Amino acid sequence: MITESIIIFQRNLKKIVRIPMLLFFSLFQPMLWLLLFTQIFQKMGDFPQFRAQGFSSYLQFFAPSVLTMTVLTSAFQSGMGMVTDLEQGMLDKFLISPIHRSSVLLGKVLADATRMLLQGVLVLVVALLMGARIHTGFVGFIVMLAVAALFGVAWAGLSNIVALRTRNSEMTMMVGILLTFPLLFLSTSMMPTALLPSWLETVTRFNPVSYVIDTGRAFMNFRYDWTQLGKTLAVIAITGALTLSGATRAFRKATS
Amino acid sequence: MTALVDVANLVKVYPDGTRAVDDVSFDVQEGEIFGFLGPNGAGKTTAIRILVTLLPMTSGTARVGGYNVDRDPNAVRRLIGYTGQFIGIDVDLTGRENLMLQGRLHGMTVADARVRADGLLEVMGLLEVADKRAGAFSGGMRRRLDVAEALVHGPRLVFLDEPTTGLDPQTRLAVWRYLEELNTAGATIFLTTQYMEEADRLCGRLAIIDHGRIVATGTPNGLKAEIGGEVVTITLQDDVGVEAIERAVRALADFPGAGEPTAFDRSIALPVRDAGRSLSDLIRRLDEAGVEIARLTLSTPTLDEVFLRHTGERMRVEETASRPHSSMHMARRRIAR
Repeated sequence: MITESIIIFQRNLKKIVRIPMLLFFSLFQPMLWLLLFTQIFQKMGDFPQFRAQGFSSYLQFFAPSVLTMTVLTSAFQSGMGMVTDLEQGMLDKFLISPIHRSSVLLGKVLADATRMLLQGVLVLVVALLMGARIHTGFVGFIVMLAVAALFGVAWAGLSNIVALRTRNSEMTMMVGILLTFPLLFLSTSMMPTALLPSWLETVTRFNPVSYVIDTGRAFMNFRYDWTQLGKTLAVIAITGALTLSGATRAFRKATS
Repeated sequence: MTALVDVANLVKVYPDGTRAVDDVSFDVQEGEIFGFLGPNGAGKTTAIRILVTLLPMTSGTARVGGYNVDRDPNAVRRLIGYTGQFIGIDVDLTGRENLMLQGRLHGMTVADARVRADGLLEVMGLLEVADKRAGAFSGGMRRRLDVAEALVHGPRLVFLDEPTTGLDPQTRLAVWRYLEELNTAGATIFLTTQYMEEADRLCGRLAIIDHGRIVATGTPNGLKAEIGGEVVTITLQDDVGVEAIERAVRALADFPGAGEPTAFDRSIALPVRDAGRSLSDLIRRLDEAGVEIARLTLSTPTLDEVFLRHTGERMRVEETASRPHSSMHMARRRIAR
């Protein structure tokens, strides 16, 4: 099963490398946010109330949000790839071979994670070039990437559920876009928790996206916050268990 | 010879109530080329997808190589190769990568898969484009690559669902030749087709399938012999009514030395044992019945006549491959469900 997963992983990876456009397609929007939002809200970084939260600039505050947004966008490419495989008959080709069924999904998830890591590195490097600084250094860099990619994989599970149920790439993309923005706005992505209206503050606590962003923020701005990391990993594990088991079910249903 | 495929009372009812396969029983012997001949929508694809473990059956039993397809699917998968009605290739990978991927998924080592892929690329005339993206391939090249993918792991039994639909005559001939070679080399082949001449040329035995049921099974020659020595086709004038056709059928109903007349459109097909002797009697009889003949042709029976005899219809052949891509995908989705 491991060999089989690796074969499928390599195949999916080849597709990513072969069409670099795909890698950049989902990077376009996050980069735009990174470049423009940090300009628009630059002065906000100087407001005393904002400063009081401990962020030295809006970029310092916002970079982890963009990283999370990147994996959210990237996750829905996973489902679109699944629809393509369905339509092109590649899924049949996988299913006709004597491999373990779950290695098809596992190989795909591994390739998704790799793509997200690559995209995450690009986003963080641009942020660093723009003057951002990771307080916890290389460890923080790795923690931020790993947390983002793990969350992205969990989120890709949802995308695959939509893809396998609808078998329609436009629908898969639409659902992705429709979910991504409310999730970002209803999280701590734009404003520190303390500066949010209290109802929104409550909502953000139930939004897994907030946990991912807060972890990145803690490691980027403050300290090695292992408690926050632990909490976030638990949230990702719960989210992932739900979405990936749902995707496995949808996969079984679609392929029988 | 042993039965490599053994199917008994196979039924497939889709959730919408369609009985796509309706109590089908047949077997395929080791070493033969066996075919399902039937029009679009006859149930060929559904049957083949059940046999290759892609679709669950509603009831009945189906064994491939002695293994139940529903209980031991992986054992079945190890024995077979399969090419679907719709081409399944990865357009982002090269031809060689596509083949090697299939080989690897079937447990071959990288080295073995490469050797095997090279051989198949050569046979299929794809060696020159082997390292180009499969997305840049023409329709014929894609089909050949797809067929090659089904063969890369050297399966004992190959399932081909309409392998030549949409191919130009030249490529069709090349695929036929290759399948014959493959069969000579020892592989058993199960194919579906809507082309009479394909079934006639390739199949040692075939089953004619229509509306989910097998209406006749036998060798192409045996099936044709059942029809009789020759077939007289009588075509009536353009403007005749149903009544005239019925009159003609009645007049021929008990013609000595002939089989049962079958009417289709304005034509009546009548299998006769010895046309040379009975032709003048036949014309006289129609004349007496007041039937005016527009045209009369004499032919040895084809599978078309066999099909007509058993279903009362001519084969409805549609060129699926000339349809635009999107509707092919929709058709696939319908099948997949």
